[in-house]
Amino acid sequence: MARRTPPASTRTAAVKTSQAERMLNLLALLVDRTQPLTLRQIRHELRAQYPDGDEAARAAFERDKAALREMGIPFEMKTLGGDAAGEAAYWVNRANYELGDLRLTDAEREALQLAVATVRLGAQHGDQALWKLGVERALGPRTTVVDLGLDTERTRTITDAVMQRRTLHFGYKGEIRTVDPYGMLSRSGFWYVIGHDHLRGAQRVFRVDRIEGDVRAGAAQAFARPKNFDVRAAVPTEQQMLAVGDGEITTARVLVDSTLAGGVRRDFGDGAVVCEHDSGSVEFAIPCANLGAFRSWVFAMVDGAEVLGPREIRDAVVGWLREMAGR
Amino acid sequence: MAPRERRPARRGTARSAARGKGRASRSARSAARGTGRPARSAARATRRRGPRSAAERVTGLLVMLPWVMARTRVSIATMARQFDLTEAELIEDLQMAAVCGVPPYTPDALIDVFMDGGEVIAEVPLVFSRPLKLNTAELFALRVMGEAALAMPGAAADGPLATALAKLRPLMPAGADTVAVDLPKARFVKELRAAVETCERQEIDYFSPSSRARTTRAITPRRVFEDAGRWYVTADDHLSGADRVFRIDRIERVTPLGIRDEPRPLTDDDLPWFSADLPTVTLRVGPEARWIVETYPYVQRTERADGGLEVTLSVTSEHWLGRLLLRAGRSAEVLEPATYRGIGVMTARRVLARYEAGA
Repeated sequence: MARRTPPASTRTAAVKTSQAERMLNLLALLVDRTQPLTLRQIRHELRAQYPDGDEAARAAFERDKAALREMGIPFEMKTLGGDAAGEAAYWVNRANYELGDLRLTDAEREALQLAVATVRLGAQHGDQALWKLGVERALGPRTTVVDLGLDTERTRTITDAVMQRRTLHFGYKGEIRTVDPYGMLSRSGFWYVIGHDHLRGAQRVFRVDRIEGDVRAGAAQAFARPKNFDVRAAVPTEQQMLAVGDGEITTARVLVDSTLAGGVRRDFGDGAVVCEHDSGSVEFAIPCANLGAFRSWVFAMVDGAEVLGPREIRDAVVGWLREMAGR
Repeated sequence: MAPRERRPARRGTARSAARGKGRASRSARSAARGTGRPARSAARATRRRGPRSAAERVTGLLVMLPWVMARTRVSIATMARQFDLTEAELIEDLQMAAVCGVPPYTPDALIDVFMDGGEVIAEVPLVFSRPLKLNTAELFALRVMGEAALAMPGAAADGPLATALAKLRPLMPAGADTVAVDLPKARFVKELRAAVETCERQEIDYFSPSSRARTTRAITPRRVFEDAGRWYVTADDHLSGADRVFRIDRIERVTPLGIRDEPRPLTDDDLPWFSADLPTVTLRVGPEARWIVETYPYVQRTERADGGLEVTLSVTSEHWLGRLLLRAGRSAEVLEPATYRGIGVMTARRVLARYEAGA
């Protein structure tokens, strides 16, 4: 067994106790005692760990108290009456800072460990959480990786605002927006913040990476989130984007070559299939209201797809092609 | 042509990282990190600098003590690695904890942790045996990571992860459930993840749109990852004899070959997406086609006063460039080299021919 250095009690006042050691002893003392203790009592119990002078001892104690509170320790205080009237007494209720037993099974611990090993947030909080739950963080090389990139000052401000219901102020498309953030969604490599836009008087979706400049957050509990707010439904998917536009929604019939048809079927579902040709090519019914988005989608298949109808959409496609082809 | 995929973001190309540029969202971050290594190493490297503060050491101990008490015995080396401390730092912290306790500070009133034969031993919990509550940031991290892991193809919606998250739910801050993660769906992600674990060689059919060709090849999957809405697998490609990155949604068949290869963990997270000798093209891009720089890695970009920009991209194939120009239409124009100037017109004519034949 490693030789222990003598406990604090046997030391003389001349031996300076480190702040870390004193903080641990202070916390242990307050957790151990059922009654609140005054600084005088604390100094007596901790022997010579605080400086001798009253003023110096008070300053050191205040530093320790602030640091412990910063760690999330609920360091509480009350002013005594009676004989000790006016004197402050301190206590820590361990039930207020200790994690209750969540009764996680071994399989659940492993599942959390795997989740933390697979997903990168860009901060260390996941590991800290695992340790507190008594789980080990996985140390081997990561074989599956999902990177959510929530490590910037901006995303921290926004996630905090979502949870604390703080109104946000930021620049977006050249305007200053004031937004009550209801939720956040990560989809296709981007984070979106969804909320009530005071400028437009309506719910809007903002792409976080398109926010211009700094994000400022106001006071907590500043707004109420609508009941049944569905963060996924609030952000249109790429397929829905084709159907969101200024124009009337039409359905375009698009013939897709066999090599590309599988991907289109996965994106739009079997419901979009009109018919399958013997060659393996497949005819799809694709929503089309936003012609710009539709163009980008259909031209990504180059000559592997052809718009069959309706007439006005096919004509538009041919028009774009002629313009580019210089004919 | 080798199945070299266009998709940069998280890793950024070596070049974009070197120039401190990249896709606006995530590659900018990996560029900032330098090599795109896991963020944690960077965070910890920072933490290590300089002496540790008293608060840092106490916080660490309040996390480590319950953890080790739950295990009774852990080797010093293992524990140091787990908490990313040097062995000297860990020993220093535990020696300090061992002389702390409650009055009268007799041996039975001290934190019962000691080191013997290279092990940390904590047998009798006295104080600090229960872990601290999870703070908001930690709960949020668990929730988001758990959400993402549940969104992975093949994850069981009612498995242990889901039940673990359900147990944590009462502790969650109120707004945590309105932060969600969607991951792309793709076939074979589950199979390929399993193959990474077992190092079993797989035969795949892979469709490359840039060559419109389908190849059958044997690969040994090494890592599966998601980036910007797509799943990828990094693998030893036995056809080309090199490391390759494949887009999983373009894999049409996966068949295990029953051959186990040696484990070869990828430690370098910065596999090049493109070799440095690929040709480049410089485009003038209008504001409507800014998606180009959000979607593709670029070597260099210059913002213009009119909201547009000039961007230089690596060209993996002329087919790819033609497709890009077709999608962007009038919003993108080739500035140089001159040899690429006709590609947009040629591509448009090829597609037009199909429409004219079918008219």
